[in-house]
Amino acid sequence: MAAAKQRPKASAESLPFGAEHYGELRRRQIARMAVTYLAPLIILIVYYQYRYIGFEQDSRRVHLGAIAEHQANTLDLFLTERRVNLANLIDHPRFAVPPSSEEMQEYLSDLRRVSDAFVDLGFFDSSGVQVVYAGPHPSLESRDYRGEDWYVTLQRSADHSVITDVYLGFRQQLHFTIAVSRVMDGQLLVLRATLDPARMYEYIESQQAAGDVITCIVNAGGVYQLVDGQIGHPLDNCPFPVPREQHFGDGTTEIGSASQQYAFRWLRNTDWSLIVQSVAEPHGILGTLQPRSLMVSAGLLLLAVIVIFNRAGKLVAQQKETDQTRAQLEHAAKLASVGELASGIAHEINNPLAIITEESGLLMDYTDPQFGHSLDEKELYQRLDTIQKSAFRCRDITGKLLRFVRRTDFDLQEHDVHDVVDGVVDDLLGPEIEVSNVRLERSYDRLLPKLTTDANQLQQVILNIINNAIDAIGDTPGVITISTSRRGNEILMSIRDTGCGMSPEQLEKVFVPFFTTKEVGKGTGLGLSVSYGIVRGLGGKIEVESTKDVGTTFTLVLPIKQKR
Amino acid sequence: MSDKIRLLIVDDEEKFLESIARRLEMRDFDVRTATRGAQAVEIAREEKFDLALLDLKMPGMDGKQVLEILKKEHKYIEVIILTGHGSVDSAVDCTKLGAFGYLPKPYELDKLLDTLQQAYQARIEKKFRVDQERMDKIARLATGSSALSILRELKKIDDEEK
Repeated sequence: MAAAKQRPKASAESLPFGAEHYGELRRRQIARMAVTYLAPLIILIVYYQYRYIGFEQDSRRVHLGAIAEHQANTLDLFLTERRVNLANLIDHPRFAVPPSSEEMQEYLSDLRRVSDAFVDLGFFDSSGVQVVYAGPHPSLESRDYRGEDWYVTLQRSADHSVITDVYLGFRQQLHFTIAVSRVMDGQLLVLRATLDPARMYEYIESQQAAGDVITCIVNAGGVYQLVDGQIGHPLDNCPFPVPREQHFGDGTTEIGSASQQYAFRWLRNTDWSLIVQSVAEPHGILGTLQPRSLMVSAGLLLLAVIVIFNRAGKLVAQQKETDQTRAQLEHAAKLASVGELASGIAHEINNPLAIITEESGLLMDYTDPQFGHSLDEKELYQRLDTIQKSAFRCRDITGKLLRFVRRTDFDLQEHDVHDVVDGVVDDLLGPEIEVSNVRLERSYDRLLPKLTTDANQLQQVILNIINNAIDAIGDTPGVITISTSRRGNEILMSIRDTGCGMSPEQLEKVFVPFFTTKEVGKGTGLGLSVSYGIVRGLGGKIEVESTKDVGTTFTLVLPIKQKR
Repeated sequence: MSDKIRLLIVDDEEKFLESIARRLEMRDFDVRTATRGAQAVEIAREEKFDLALLDLKMPGMDGKQVLEILKKEHKYIEVIILTGHGSVDSAVDCTKLGAFGYLPKPYELDKLLDTLQQAYQARIEKKFRVDQERMDKIARLATGSSALSILRELKKIDDEEK
């Protein structure tokens, strides 16, 4: 447990970047994924909600249209029946002209038994005077109706009947008139009944089960004949258009801030249009949305957000791990390359040390009487000089080693790229190349500008590549060619060897940490992966080409100026 | 031919070669030196050596290759490897190839003298053992073989001595 707790702390310390860097990385990841995943999801949700609303409106319109048709038919039937009631009366063979008051009273009672919408009944002689009246307004008896609209219309009517709009009339009460006329012995006789619109309205309402609609009736002039108290009053103007030229139709009307759908259908019997509109409480888009689909959408979004946050966290953790591994690898490789270097350098130091011990030992032998040698001053001087030179050789080597390993961060300065390479091939690798089978060739473009780089880090890269080249050449004589050139804002440095080369499979893995083509125990497999990291850090890249048994070319592509 | 130990030293560091040769000569070794492997092989073909001191890392033919050739061409020579390398691996490889031993540079002279002494001892013992076997064989042949087969065996011994 303690160890597990310890580990993250230790790893945090070895991270090359601070918490701020990873916070920023996380934010960027979240933003990126939100755009990638969340935005399409939201667009889809909105799109389908709109589709759903459209679908719902369509089905509602069909529904309203069906109710309108049904109610219009009912109303038509009602009006036809009422007219037929009157026609039957006047056409009855026993209908007396003019009927007596009692007879009229009896007729009215009969009519009211058929429909309670009947209010009164009147008989008019050819002069247009209501000669007999039965009903609650006896004062209307003997009134002259010749100038009334309905009377005028009836006179011209082809089918000898008329159904009026709703009006107040002499009695100052809402009613409408159904009248039928007959010509007998050259006389125009008229039987008229007035009906109570409220009663008719009740009848219509009673015919219809659905409680989610309001029915109203307007005339050809767009004036309410019958209307629910919630939306208007009779004889008011209907606020939305009900075009007469269409037999039926639908539309949308604004009620307050919300839109309301309606459907209308014109009657056959009279110039009335029956309008059905939904009574669902006024609602906007949100109100139209199905709660269940809303919940599903919200759930989906929440899930997406959770996934995004989770994924971003994981990505950042992964990045942290990668950075950490890379930092560790670089450290390990630095140690490893220092180790390789140290073993090479041991040879370079031990040889002069052996000279020192031998020369000094010889001088000691000279002073030993046992050997009986004399020592002349010239020889003494020469031998001491050799000792001193050997000691300086050792100092130079340790100095180079220190210079090589000391750097940790990038120390960017302007360098002549050739000085950097020469530092490797002459100073660091000079002695090794001298005793090897390798011939070194340089093809330098001397006109190259100075390069802003970290000479030590770059030297480590070059050292790694040349060491590999030497190993690839092995025991048979070979050539390493180092050439430099310029390409735009980059300097190219190619290191080509005539060594054993690599197969395409090996080439693919050449920068993979711990991948090595060398014998077990000879290479760490870290050199090139770390070199790659360094060159990337310097803003450049390493390109590599290789042909089996022909050789390998590594090309460092380095930006002339650093962007920092 | 003297009774001194005949020693061949091969190293590409001339200063080192010169002083070590001087010191060993002062200690009654019969020393020849070579700065290149190929040169050493040539010298060994002309003169006979009891022992050889070989530097491992040399331009051209390196110590390992010289070792292989010497052991192949000379039956009784014992080879001691001198190495500036810190690593023991290559020296171990050399003992597998037949080197008597190895010494890391720089070394104490006494240690080198000890090693040379032991190597010489080993060489003498080996030669003695082989001679013994030869004598036994000749004795066996003498009791029942023709004079010709004895002469043939003696010729073989004579050839190997070269």
